[in-house]
Amino acid sequence: MLRVRSSALLLAAIFVLHIFLLQRAATESKMLPAAPESGIVLPTPVLTITSLEFKGFVSDLLFIKALILKGSTYERKEEPCMKPEEWQWFNSILIASTDLDPYFIDPYLLANAHMTWEAGMVRETNELLEKGTQYRDWDWSLPFFAGFNSFFFLHDNAKAAELLATAAQRPGPSEQLLSLAARLAYTEKKTENAVMFLEAILAKTEDKQLRKQYTTRINALQARLLLERGVSSYKKKFGRYPAVLQDIIKAGIMPEIPRDPYGGKFSMGPQGQVASTSDHLLMIGQHSGKPMSR
Amino acid sequence: MMRRLWPLAFITFKEGTRNKAFYGISLLAIVLMGASFFISGLVMRDVGKVAVDMAVSTVSFAGLLVVFFVGIDLMAKDLDKRTIYMVLARPISRQQYIIGKFVGISLLVVVTVFLLSVFAAISISTIKWANPDYFPRFSWGPVFLAEAFIALSLVLLSALSFLFASVSSTSFITMVLTILSYIIGQSLSSVKAIVESPQDITVSPVTVALVRAAYYIFPNLSLFDIKAQAAHSLAIPSAFIFWTVMYGLIYIVLVITFAALLFTKKEFP
Repeated sequence: MLRVRSSALLLAAIFVLHIFLLQRAATESKMLPAAPESGIVLPTPVLTITSLEFKGFVSDLLFIKALILKGSTYERKEEPCMKPEEWQWFNSILIASTDLDPYFIDPYLLANAHMTWEAGMVRETNELLEKGTQYRDWDWSLPFFAGFNSFFFLHDNAKAAELLATAAQRPGPSEQLLSLAARLAYTEKKTENAVMFLEAILAKTEDKQLRKQYTTRINALQARLLLERGVSSYKKKFGRYPAVLQDIIKAGIMPEIPRDPYGGKFSMGPQGQVASTSDHLLMIGQHSGKPMSR
Repeated sequence: MMRRLWPLAFITFKEGTRNKAFYGISLLAIVLMGASFFISGLVMRDVGKVAVDMAVSTVSFAGLLVVFFVGIDLMAKDLDKRTIYMVLARPISRQQYIIGKFVGISLLVVVTVFLLSVFAAISISTIKWANPDYFPRFSWGPVFLAEAFIALSLVLLSALSFLFASVSSTSFITMVLTILSYIIGQSLSSVKAIVESPQDITVSPVTVALVRAAYYIFPNLSLFDIKAQAAHSLAIPSAFIFWTVMYGLIYIVLVITFAALLFTKKEFP
């Protein structure tokens, strides 16, 4: 009995000693010279080969690593709380995560949530988002975010319109988003894009009233497109812009000036840009004045 | 033929389920599935994807452990403990012995994957029940198909372990060779893609030829890995399923025939 008790006591004493030693060793280990926390991500081919059949799982772990890296900086007092090299690391981890599983949406959302506003890494974010757009071909949100970044941060309306048009062709987004894309396309003078884009929207629209509105808008843009092409062939032929639109008809390029379905009157600016007195209607995207979204 | 094989296959299966490692592996699988609750909780949107990833990866990982530690042990025990003399003293040929053993171990692998899949389904559906809004594209079909493919690839790996067991002298060497074949089989198609169209590196033609030769010798196990399709409910064409299953079956027949031939020539200690 005594033997059992003394063994138990000895065991308890050794256990307490073990806790003490562990704490000491852990404290001392912190004094060792260590490499900075921001580090290396293995290149994609190496990761692809070494993660065997567990690529999805490794992708999840990399995402969580990026999440923890971001989260750990919230405790810091200094401003900005994340250093540029840490942002680079954050980006590399997310690239690796999406290389292993390009269908995983969370790394894209994490990049979009932090890398644009906080780090100013808009181009890097859009590279990631465009990768996601390519793989997640059912998801409208990634091209939509990329489109917003192009428009807001990069001031690249043509690219924004292209990305939003991609978003619009996918199931889910509201009509408001679609008309936004058309307006972006239009302000960039990409009338042709706008026509194609609206035709894509028309194909997915079932509501009769909306179909009518879209058809009218497409007709208006097509009339404008016809005139723009007439102006450019006039310029090719005579080496200058026509003074007035009627010149195109006189030159025999077009039989007549097309009718504006919104009831406006087409005119031409000094640089050959076609405008209409109904432009405000087209720009707002409505001629009934009601909001577009259902 | 089957009447002679069946008792051997059944006794092999039964012996496998009695192996203590089998229980340890099952326990590990259950713990890993439990961990998937916490890991999927860390994710913002694709909770369903992470839940499926964790569950199906666990099925695969635990199945691999069964092949490496239980399957090879079952095969080697007869040789190490000399009980093979008692079996071969019966009216049963060496080829029949190999095939019978293989059927038994395949049965063990398939039943293991089935049981693990039940746990995986419980894990996934509990997470789905707790986060119903985060499973937008989830469907069970690809998940079950991925698990069936795991079973097929594990049976293929067991067949390879038979081949190694019929030439090597100890079960340890068999295990090492099987693990190496698994690693090669999983990564070879990526390696082949890299050496055939290298970026930023130069690859000697000898390496390319070697990798290509290895590609046709080792099994392409990455074909059976459709976890990404399961996790994201991506389309899996039926032609792919057909040709992959046919490839797997033919490779198994090839390896087992070869193993049986080598086994007849083997000299027992």
